[in-house]
This record gives sequence, structure tokens and C-alpha cells, in this order.
Amino acid sequence: MKRIKAIVATLALGVATLGNAATIEMDVNGLVCAFCAQGIEKKLRAYPATSDVIVSLEKRLVAVSTKDGEDIPDDELRRALTDAGYTVTDIRRVDETLEAVRARLKGAEH
Amino acid sequence: MFTLKTASYGAGAAFALMCAPAAAKPIAFANGSTFMAEYGAGTMMEAQAFYAPTYWLSAGGGDVRFDSDITDRSRDIAYLRVNYLAKRWNLPSAQANVFVWGGLGSATGDTFDGSRLARNAGVQFDVETRRVYASVKTDLWESSEFSQRVDTLQLGLAPYEHDYSTLATWFVIQARDYTGQIRHGVEWAALVRLFKGGAWIEAGLTADGKPQVMAMFNF
Repeated sequence: MKRIKAIVATLALGVATLGNAATIEMDVNGLVCAFCAQGIEKKLRAYPATSDVIVSLEKRLVAVSTKDGEDIPDDELRRALTDAGYTVTDIRRVDETLEAVRARLKGAEH
Repeated sequence: MFTLKTASYGAGAAFALMCAPAAAKPIAFANGSTFMAEYGAGTMMEAQAFYAPTYWLSAGGGDVRFDSDITDRSRDIAYLRVNYLAKRWNLPSAQANVFVWGGLGSATGDTFDGSRLARNAGVQFDVETRRVYASVKTDLWESSEFSQRVDTLQLGLAPYEHDYSTLATWFVIQARDYTGQIRHGVEWAALVRLFKGGAWIEAGLTADGKPQVMAMFNF
């Protein structure tokens, strides 16, 4: 019985993980002007998979959260930023919600 | 007469000054529209509207009026223009750009009857970090009746580093020179620039106390 419970719990966790929204962080060069960073936000929000976007000039970082079970491939993200006129130096998936990233960035400002 | 010599002189002057501009960038971002209006101390008034299908190209039109400080003459030019981002450098904490543009228009003025075909060419170099901004641009206008250039140099300092969601404040010193019997000598101005989101406003005074105001909206 215990083994069955463990299997069910593991499966439930797996399904929950699959359903979770992903957060993607990108390090970006040339990100110095809020006026111009508008273009990045506009471009990333145009993806159907995008849930929300954060742009931090301080950390030279762009973070995107995707809708449940969806993702945006790295090459598309890189193309989006390049088409906006910027240079991406790194793309990574992080195990944090976008709200947590926002809070972390805000904490780093103080 | 528009000649290669005058065009290269304008470009050469711009790069020789090699400082900053701050004039607003003629291309904001891909799929973005820009509206800009400037009141330049009673000497120049300009309104422009552009659409950028990519981050390196925009097209649109505008109207510019020059009122000479030397004589009573004035010129008005309605134009269509294409702006091109010739080069961009994206560095970890800075960005630099070279923009060029060209266009055609219809000029009227009180020193000739009717209208004349006007030709326009310009170049702008700018470099900025989150604390320092500099740009230089030259804008050349030619027709069968006149030839004139407006060279603008700007240097900006930000008292704090703004972020995407906060208000940006810049203190800007500007030097502007008009050729073609528009104005004698360099016109100096001190300006305050504020922007947040897609709205930008800049206002200040020239050394002889005349107001200069510029507003720009991107969306």
C-alpha cells in the first residue's frame, strides 16, 4: 500500500511539474535605456506562450514566464532579442516563478 | 546645390566632434511608431512621425520650419524620410549607434516664389550608459534656392541610474550650430530630459533665454 501511495505521489508531482509555468532568464548586452527596452517587451509579449515579461536594466536581464505547459525555444528567444536590436549572451531556465525573480531583482536594488 | 563634398563635410564635422547627441533616436524599436515635436528657441520648429518595421529601418515624414535670427527670412520644408541604423555596438553596460537618413521634400520660403524640391541627408552618432549620454548629429538641407545644415551636439548626465519601470532624468548640455544664414554663432542650451515608458519630454533654455522644448512618444 505504501509503495502504491509513493508511486501515486511521484506521478502527481510529475504531472504538476509538467503543468508548471516556466521562467526563462536572458542576459542581454546593450540594455541601457528604458525607452528602447520597450521593444524587447513588445516583441516577447507577442508570443502566444508568453505569460509575463520583466526587463531589468540594473541586472541587464530579461525574464519571461510562459503559460502552463508551454515553452519558447532558445533560438526563438535569441532571434526575438536580436530582432529587437540587442545581443543575448546567455539563456537559462530557472526554478523560480517570475514573481520570485521580480522580488529577487527588487531586493538586489536595495 | 547638394554635392558629395557638402555631404561629406557634414558627416565629417559630426564625427570630428565625436561627442554625443542625445537627440532622440530616429528609430525606436521594431514595429514601433514614433511621434516627435520640437520647438527650438524660435529658430527651428519640427514635427515628425515614423514607423519602424525593423529595429534598423524606419520611414515617415515631417515638417520643419526655420526662422532666421539674422534676417527676416523663413523656410518651411515638408518631407518624407528614411532612417537607417548603419551600425550598433551592444556592450555589457553601454550602447552606441550610427544612424544615417535621407529624404525629399517640398520647400517654401519668403526669398523665392512657389515651392522647390528639397533634399535632406544626415548622420547621427550616439553613445550611452545609464549615467552618461553623448550624441552628435548633422542634418543637411539643400534646394536650388538654399543650402543649410544644423549640427547638434549633446552631452547628458543622469543623477541616478533609472530602470525600466522608473522615471529617467537627464541633465543635458547642448550646442547647436545653424549654417545658411539662419543664425550666427553656436547656440548653447541647458535642458532637463524626463522619460518613462513610451513618453519623453525635454525642456530648457538657451544661453540667451529662449525656450527649447521637445516631446516624443513611442508605442
